[in-house]
Amino acid sequence: MVTFLQELVNSLSIASVIILMGIGVTLIFGLTGIINFAHGEFLMLGAIGVWVLMGYGLGYIPALLIAVAIVGLIGFLLERGLFQFTLLRPNNGFMASLGLSIVIQHVVIRIWNSFSKSIPEPLPGVWQIGEITFIKMRVVVVAVTALVVAVTFFTISRSRYGLALRASLADRETAALMGIPIRRYITVIFAYGSAIAGLGGALTIALFPVTPFVGSEMIMLGFAVALIAGLGNVAGVVGAGLILGLVNGLSGAYGTPEWTNAYTFGLMIVILIFRPQGLFGGTMGPTIE
Amino acid sequence: MAQMAAIAEARPPASRQRKNRALPSSAALIATAILVVGVFAFPWFNPGYRALSFAVTTGVTAIVLYGMAIPFGQAGIMSLGYAGLMGFGAYTAAILSRDFGMNMWVAMPFSVLVAVLCAGLFGLPSLRISGHHFAITTYVMCELLRIALINGGKFTGAATGLDLPPMGMLLGVKLDKLGNAYELVAAFMFLSMLTAYCVANSRYGRTLRSIRENEQLARAIGVNANLHKVGAFMLSGLFAGVGGDLQAYNFRHISPDLYGGATSLYFALMVMLGGPRTIFGPLAGAIIVTFLPEVMRIDPVDSRIAYGLALIAVVMLLPGGVIAAAGRAYRWAARALHGAPANSGSADAGASLT
Repeated sequence: MVTFLQELVNSLSIASVIILMGIGVTLIFGLTGIINFAHGEFLMLGAIGVWVLMGYGLGYIPALLIAVAIVGLIGFLLERGLFQFTLLRPNNGFMASLGLSIVIQHVVIRIWNSFSKSIPEPLPGVWQIGEITFIKMRVVVVAVTALVVAVTFFTISRSRYGLALRASLADRETAALMGIPIRRYITVIFAYGSAIAGLGGALTIALFPVTPFVGSEMIMLGFAVALIAGLGNVAGVVGAGLILGLVNGLSGAYGTPEWTNAYTFGLMIVILIFRPQGLFGGTMGPTIE
Repeated sequence: MAQMAAIAEARPPASRQRKNRALPSSAALIATAILVVGVFAFPWFNPGYRALSFAVTTGVTAIVLYGMAIPFGQAGIMSLGYAGLMGFGAYTAAILSRDFGMNMWVAMPFSVLVAVLCAGLFGLPSLRISGHHFAITTYVMCELLRIALINGGKFTGAATGLDLPPMGMLLGVKLDKLGNAYELVAAFMFLSMLTAYCVANSRYGRTLRSIRENEQLARAIGVNANLHKVGAFMLSGLFAGVGGDLQAYNFRHISPDLYGGATSLYFALMVMLGGPRTIFGPLAGAIIVTFLPEVMRIDPVDSRIAYGLALIAVVMLLPGGVIAAAGRAYRWAARALHGAPANSGSADAGASLT
């Protein structure tokens, strides 16, 4: 029982990173229709950014803030410079993002190298509650994720901006006629999703060493979470992320860790076949005429 | 407009049918002849072992790409699972050789059979899942295969993979000599190019294009879209099976990492770069991505950056790939020179031999 609870606690931090990845994918894919295969690279950039900035002697928190801002800026520039031209042809955007993913990955390898990178633990130590150990940094990661999820969820479901966003999803043309600046919303969503991925990366490197290849692995988990949950469904991403985090943690502890991704991917295929709209229901992405 | 095109694609009136069967233009035939002669004559230019072995890899890749171009270019269904299908072919060949002592030729039908059946399996979700969801699904299936191969224990040789015997003889010719293996791969490559061309210019190719242009309309006029979608995949699996068998015997060692999602991504990159709807596109893509950087000894990291950028540029600026763009440039130049429209061959844009 204690082992089980301990694994439950441990899997929460993995789930957090997956959720941060999934939120970006679900917002960008589900609300703007852009399928960004390079989204995983944003996570990698966030992690590498923290590593580079800390190499210049910055503390973890300023490095994290700067890295997240930089990744958000990169997302903004890419949306303005590339993806905005593919809005009417999502297929082109998808193909371009495949190329973009390769470019970002190899530029990082070119400038630094392909070895795994780690930083000194920013918050060492543990809390002991009963027989269960809480590693402090992991608790922080879970707390930050919860905060991001709450902010995102309430912005979309409660604020007037969220209302406008959902209106533009239901009917882009009518929403535009009502005076909603759709293009601007898409840019903001893209930059926000990118920054969240960067945050995911910045938190990941505090937990595990990171290689420049982490992005291509994480993007599949991000797609898996977003598609299992149902596109555009932020609360669903949390549910699906927790499920995948649990699968991750428990298969590591009890079963066969080398099959972990197979469970995740198998679950995703089965759910897509039997419930194409996702487990918790979502949009099928914006309809574009 | 798209509806009109779809109707025309699926049920051409009698007068157009004749036009569609028109022979390719003389320029295209000359280009093809030069290509065939050039490719077969390549070993006589003393390219050296290194360039020749990369040429073999390029040829094997091109075989798979021609298969991929059928569902992608004609039916408009993008799949990221072809490295996996190739892997099924290659591992079938390796396991049959190890357990039953079969040589390359005896194993080839089995490789093809396994790859075709798996292609059908990979294609089945396309009936329920469409567009990008499907591309992601096939990528994931490819990764599932890689994980299964790594964990397959002795049967699949786990992460280290399997070894194969040499190619052996064919009609008294020693295939173990690299030059001969190259000619064999080149022959298979042109065979798959011809097959892809015939499919694109057949009634079946038109049916697939009608699904691409407007699936609902195609269904409404009686096209069995489900059957043809899975059928197109199984047809492309044939190419992947042959490619896998040839690759296994050329490398003589195969491992799971050759057949993961990353390789599939590069396959997709090559097809899109060259142009999936043109007859030379897949070969051009394979040459540009697989052959040129290795032979010109460009740093692999630099070349990947360059290809990623090239892919973005092609997608944004030259939709249809470099070969389609070259064809447009040629027709433009011919018009400018002669002051009359050049014969572009078939009126059927989807299948034109540029």
